[in-house]
This record gives sequence, structure tokens and C-alpha cells, in this order.
Amino acid sequence: MAVNGTSSEYLLPCGRDVDEVWSGLGEPVDVHERDCPHCRATRGSLLVLRDVTRELADDETEPSRDLTGRIMAAVRADLRRHDLLPLPTPEPGSLEVSAQAVAAVVRFAADGVAGVRARRCRVTAGAAAGALAVELNLAVSYHGFVRHLLDDVRDRVESAVGARIGVRLERLDLVLDDLYEDG
Amino acid sequence: MTAAAALDTATLVARARDGDVPAYEQLVRRYQGQMFRLAVRMLSSRGDAEDVVQEVFLTAWRRLGQLHADDAFVGWLYRATTNRCLNVLRARRPVTDVEPDETPSTGAAGLPDRAAETSAQLAALVDALDRLTGEQRACWLLREVHGRSYEEIAETIGTTSAAVRGRIARARAQLAEVMEPWR
Repeated sequence: MAVNGTSSEYLLPCGRDVDEVWSGLGEPVDVHERDCPHCRATRGSLLVLRDVTRELADDETEPSRDLTGRIMAAVRADLRRHDLLPLPTPEPGSLEVSAQAVAAVVRFAADGVAGVRARRCRVTAGAAAGALAVELNLAVSYHGFVRHLLDDVRDRVESAVGARIGVRLERLDLVLDDLYEDG
Repeated sequence: MTAAAALDTATLVARARDGDVPAYEQLVRRYQGQMFRLAVRMLSSRGDAEDVVQEVFLTAWRRLGQLHADDAFVGWLYRATTNRCLNVLRARRPVTDVEPDETPSTGAAGLPDRAAETSAQLAALVDALDRLTGEQRACWLLREVHGRSYEEIAETIGTTSAAVRGRIARARAQLAEVMEPWR
């Protein structure tokens, strides 16, 4: 590998630079290097460096056990502050609810129907002021699947959102994207 | 969760972007060690390194939506970790060139346990790393220990690939000198 003169200030007294010696580590020693004490010494040091660098790369020092927990607590706290959706209020000022809080209510209501497992849930503001739109993905039991199941989910979710959040669901899209075996 | 353990990073990133907290937790568990080891070698302090890693993962969570591609996540983590470490170093002390011999002996508090380094060579390397400038150390660690590309490092540090090669060459020459006794 050619190194231009400006990139290395480490010229050896023989005129070669450290980087040249480094590049040649994988190759047999050339005539100059074999006889040059500077190059030989540098080559020796670089070989040690290469081994120790490997040792450093293999190092598996881990952070404290609770670091993941601390990171995830910060992430969850951040979730609670974001994705706020406006709610209708007769009072001056504004009222907001987090999309995740609504999603939790929706999932809980859907999970209450036997043979249904809520999966992804996306909550967005509806077209009308203070209304919400929800898209909920579901998995249903392979054995327990009956036609009125999705109607049950719809009823439960709509009433839960109305009763627990006090908001009208403008739109509820149910996406049945999986079946599961009862274990 | 057990099913998610085998998922590839791009899938987990896509899910996390959608607000899937357990998927993000998988990402944190997968990459926190790597980022911590980079930070701890940059900062010589486990406590500071953990703070950096925590901030990086919280910021990453907030910016998932801005990520161009799901497979750009790891590169982003490296960039954010490196830059935060450099900021911590800048805040620690005014930019004065301290003579290597006058470098205050590093106190015990918060430092990686030097006695735990598996070899004298490794301990010497870690000490020598501390005497490089922050940017040199970052370039060398990212390339030689974490295997990142010159282009990526250049983008991280805000310079050219040629300048990165130059810094790594200088760092390598300085580190090789320290290896002399084990030649």
C-alpha cells in the first residue's frame, strides 16, 4: 500500500516509514528489511502490537447488568411523553392522550375476547377533531375461530375506548394476520 | 420474545421504528456491549461510558424514524457513540497538549480495572491509547478493534479517508513504540 508522504510523519532513519513496514507484515521480509536494524526493530514492535490489538478486539468486557434496564426505562418514559393525540375538551386549554396509552386499552379489550390475541396496534388522530383512528392486527385461535369473533372484538374495543378514554373511535381497522394453535 | 431472539437487525429496527419496545430491547441487548467497549476505551471510565451508551440508545430510539435504511442502524450507533465520547473528552479538560510523561496518573475511581487486563502488553497498550488525542484514539479503535471502514470513520469524525489513514498510521507508530519491550 503506497502511503503518501503527508500521511505519515514516522520516517525511520533508513528512509522507510512505519506504515510501509506495517503494510509488509503479511509478506516475507524483503532484502532491505532483513538487513536494516530500524526496520527489523519496527517490524518486531508492530508484530507485538498486532497480537495485542487482537487481544483487545477479543475483549468482552460487559457494562453493568442494569444498563439495559436503565436504557429501557428511559425509552418507556420517552414513549409516554410522545405521540400525544388531542382529545376534545369543553375547557380552555388542551387535553392530550398518548397513542401508546390508547393502544394498551385497545389491546387489553381485544385480548378479552376468547381466542384472540392482539398484536400491533397503531393509533392516530382521526379526521374529526378529538376522534381517533385505530388499526389493530390480530392473531386468532385456529380452533376457536368463529365468524362473530371480529364483531366481538369491534364491540369490546369501541366500548373500552369510549368508556376508559372518553373518545369516539372514528375508524377501527381490524387486520387478521395470523392463526395460532392453542397450546 | 424467544422467537424475536433470532431476528435479524433490520427486522428488529423495522419493528422498533413502529413503536415495538421489546424489539428495541433486543437491539439494545445486541449492541450495548460493543458500544460500551468502544466508549470505555475512549473515556477510560466505566461510569462515563455507560452514560454515553445510555444517551446513545435513547437518542437512537427517538431518531429511528429518521433512519434512511434499517441496516444503517449499527453505523449510526458507532457514529453517535464516537461523537458523544469526543464531546465528553472536550468537556473534561481544555485542549492542551499534555506531555505524555506529565499525564496525571489515572486515579482508581471509575476506571477499568487495569489489573484485570489479561497481559502486561494489553495494559501497556491501554495506557498508551490514553495518551493519544481523542480523535486519533477514535480512528484507531474504530478501524483496528471494531473493523469499521475508513469511509465510515471519515464521515464520523468529519474528515477525509486520507486523513483517517494518516491518523491511524500515526497512532499505530506511537503504539508500536510502547510495544518495544516485548519485541
